[in-house]
Amino acid sequence: MGKMVKLGLILAIFCVISAGGLAYVYMMTQPKIDQNAQLALERSKQEVMPASGKGMAVIVEPQGYGGKVKMMVGVDESGRVSGVKILEHRETPGLGAQIVTSKFLGQFKGKTIADKLEVEAITGASISSRAVAAGVKEALEKVKTKK
Amino acid sequence: MNLWKDFNQGIIKENPVLRLMIGLCPTLAVSNNATNALGMSVAVAFVLICSNWVVALIRKITPDEIRIPIFIIVISTFVTISDYIMHAYYPDLYAALGVFVPLIVVNCIILGRAEAFAYRNPVLNSILDGVGMSLGFALALVSIGVIREALGAGSVFGITLFNPAVAATIMILPPGAFITIGFIMAFLNKAEKKVQ
Repeated sequence: MGKMVKLGLILAIFCVISAGGLAYVYMMTQPKIDQNAQLALERSKQEVMPASGKGMAVIVEPQGYGGKVKMMVGVDESGRVSGVKILEHRETPGLGAQIVTSKFLGQFKGKTIADKLEVEAITGASISSRAVAAGVKEALEKVKTKK
Repeated sequence: MNLWKDFNQGIIKENPVLRLMIGLCPTLAVSNNATNALGMSVAVAFVLICSNWVVALIRKITPDEIRIPIFIIVISTFVTISDYIMHAYYPDLYAALGVFVPLIVVNCIILGRAEAFAYRNPVLNSILDGVGMSLGFALALVSIGVIREALGAGSVFGITLFNPAVAATIMILPPGAFITIGFIMAFLNKAEKKVQ
């Protein structure tokens, strides 16, 4: 019985030391982590918004092949797509992961809600390509209902 | 002499991935390009060297019955520290490695070295063992990463070698990891037989 308490106490001491150390590192790094996230968001916004700065940027998460595709779509005042950027995805490397290329995403530029979003899909990644197209459509609808 | 041996054995002779065949999970998962492989190697090296150091330092006051939970506390503390630091200062690398950084906790190389080496040896030997094993892990991971990225994406460390359209995509998918690691092991075994 006494031994059990002793061992438990030793383990508890180790845990306290570890927690203290982690709390310190957390306090040191957390502001920087938040700042990075904010910066990345701002940068993406600048990329997808029209040069005039007027319009909206919406974030949508269509279902891709390997999970949700988190993407930001910029829409200008006349309801045309001004830019698309993929923020996070888990698509297959080498195939679906090519949705981040400007060659693929550029195809959405200038599309409106009236357009059929028929784009040239990436070879071997039709599900990922369709997911992005669905995301753009969803974003356009979101902008329309907000107006 | 002994110190040199402790340092040396992890690199080729007891290479954790290619000889002891431990730590295969992160090896297969993040070796799809050379940059990720290198980033993972650095994170594992940090955790392994620090945990070997601390485990050797506290081995005299560690009761035998609860040594494993204590190892885990030490290891997970360093993993979390490396996770925070990478998230704060290398966000791109952090995004690429994703879930595999926290999973270093269950990388059997680290717990294995704590139990088999650091718990039984002095601090300096344990640190050297950590450095050697980390180099061995990095050597294996980066060579697999370079081969897979070159054949599968036509580039090395992100620098394009040839048109990626003619690359064999399978090499950067999971089967490519098994194929590459199999060939490297076969080659090493053959080389060893020749030496003998």
